[in-house]
Amino acid sequence: MSESHGGVAHQRGPVRRGLDDATRRATFEAEALPHLDSLYSAALRYTRDRTDAEDLVQDAFARAYASYHQYEPGTNLRAWLHRILHTTYISQWRKAQRRPREVAADQPSGDGEPDDGEFSLFDRVAAATSRPAEVEVLEHLTDAEVQEALQSLPESFRTAVYLADVEGFPYAEIAEIMDSPVGTVMSRLHRGRQRLQRALWEYAQRRGLVGPDPDDAGEAGEGRGDDAGRTGRAHQDDAHEGAAAQEQAHHG
Amino acid sequence: MDDPCDEVLAEIERYLDGECTAEAAAVVRAHLHDCSPCMDRADFQRRVRALVAQRCRESAPPELVARIRASLE
Repeated sequence: MSESHGGVAHQRGPVRRGLDDATRRATFEAEALPHLDSLYSAALRYTRDRTDAEDLVQDAFARAYASYHQYEPGTNLRAWLHRILHTTYISQWRKAQRRPREVAADQPSGDGEPDDGEFSLFDRVAAATSRPAEVEVLEHLTDAEVQEALQSLPESFRTAVYLADVEGFPYAEIAEIMDSPVGTVMSRLHRGRQRLQRALWEYAQRRGLVGPDPDDAGEAGEGRGDDAGRTGRAHQDDAHEGAAAQEQAHHG
Repeated sequence: MDDPCDEVLAEIERYLDGECTAEAAAVVRAHLHDCSPCMDRADFQRRVRALVAQRCRESAPPELVARIRASLE
């Protein structure tokens, strides 16, 4: 009650136990509700549906409120809430929806997976606009197109990319939220960003924002990204030939 | 990986994520300062991320905020 402000001020202290209901509620409202937009945006990326996202967020907030006494004051509340959101999604929602194909897409793979060849959006844009690659080209994409591009990624890639690029969480926190090792997070992020850039490229092409690849038979298909990347790099390698040769001599 | 550009570009994702060691970050920073092609690449990556961040953020609908507030009663 009159202690509620004291409770907030002491949030760096030990685990917040024994708050009375009114204080607990006031504290939760003041601290957790400001993260609602962030959780809703994430829920949209998980469920890909507005109604489902709202229900998921509501479930997650109910869980968070029920276990608020377990939150350690002084740690990252936004990360804690995202972890609950992710757990709620995995335990209740995904189970109900069953998306075996997506789960399969996330299996760790070696270098053999064809669509995971290195893809350089930078080189594609540079080649298509015949000047230094400009992000402006991509800025003509609509919000919906960028969101669809992200949404086209397999779930765990999409989540990792969302948590890193939109929420700005460090690897360690993403690992906590997704309950995965940091190494797995890094690989999902790398592969997810590659796929995202490939998808953005395809949207840009479809919209006619960029021309077709000069040396591509009209389609940015599997395995081609690597070639384009190398072609692009070749020019740069020329410029550094001297330095590279020196390096080589040194190492050789 | 003898090309200094390759070495830096291999590290660039982690660098942009702020996950390099201080030592590695200093190497990357120094290289980017001197190498405009690599700087262009780094800049491009940074801006693509910013684009995604900007486009994928949405506000929770007011009804949802109201529902959640009510559920705390």
